[in-house]
Amino acid sequence: MTKEEQLSIINDAIRQTKNNLKPLGFNLVFWGVLINFMSLFHYFFPSIVQFSYYSSTIYWVSIPLLGMIYTTYYNINSGNKIGYETQLSRVIRIIWGVFGIAWISIVGISVYSRINPVQDILFLLALVLVMSGSIIKFKQVTLGGVGLLIFTLYNYYIPEIHLLLVNVIGITFGMLIPGLALYFQNKNE
Amino acid sequence: MNKEIEKLLFNPIRLKTVSFLMTVETCNFKALLDVTESTKGNLSIQLKKLNEADLIKIEKYFQKSYPTTDYSITKKGRTSFEDFFKQLQSYKNE
Repeated sequence: MTKEEQLSIINDAIRQTKNNLKPLGFNLVFWGVLINFMSLFHYFFPSIVQFSYYSSTIYWVSIPLLGMIYTTYYNINSGNKIGYETQLSRVIRIIWGVFGIAWISIVGISVYSRINPVQDILFLLALVLVMSGSIIKFKQVTLGGVGLLIFTLYNYYIPEIHLLLVNVIGITFGMLIPGLALYFQNKNE
Repeated sequence: MNKEIEKLLFNPIRLKTVSFLMTVETCNFKALLDVTESTKGNLSIQLKKLNEADLIKIEKYFQKSYPTTDYSITKKGRTSFEDFFKQLQSYKNE
């Protein structure tokens, strides 16, 4: 084997590593659809969701927990299918893992303190989206995060807007639309 | 550079494996099969040799009751590959 052949083997092997971001796109779309559906259901049928003192807490904790189990299962499966993990995908996995833990903590604290966690979660989500978008260099996700951040900060000053609608608007523009863009861009590759 | 390492990386399958592992954190056997375009038996032998030379790390565990193996590059593997690559480039530039 000549030196040129060796260099060509190295180049070919390195070129085969792609940062597959389709799973991240899927996760954003999944959570975008789930949270929007839950928010709208809560908004239009408050008598069902709030039939008892703890029912809305159970509603907002149990369904996202099921979602977390499903996305964890999906992420493990897609990771096995891809067959390798790059540094970038590891960083993204850690960031969203930390977001999941922070989300559970915020919900726990807000139940204990009897405050609505929507704005705090959206604020955290916006930061995570900006981070993820900047790391993967995908403008739509970064812009979605920036938009969500501005929207969340603005909402702290207009409390008359229904927080469930705030959730729908924020999640649609910050998560669902960028997620769809990311999913379909990677699907076409 | 260590002659033994140079000899080890002279094999195309071993070179492809180490080059690929330089770019990823971990990978499974199937991904290495795709990259090296080798047979299962041959790849297993080459991976064993790389592991014996402490260039790669092999981790076996169970996932959903199925045995799974992850491969990653060791610190020694990384430095050896970097030296090897520098040497190749210097030959090319001569």
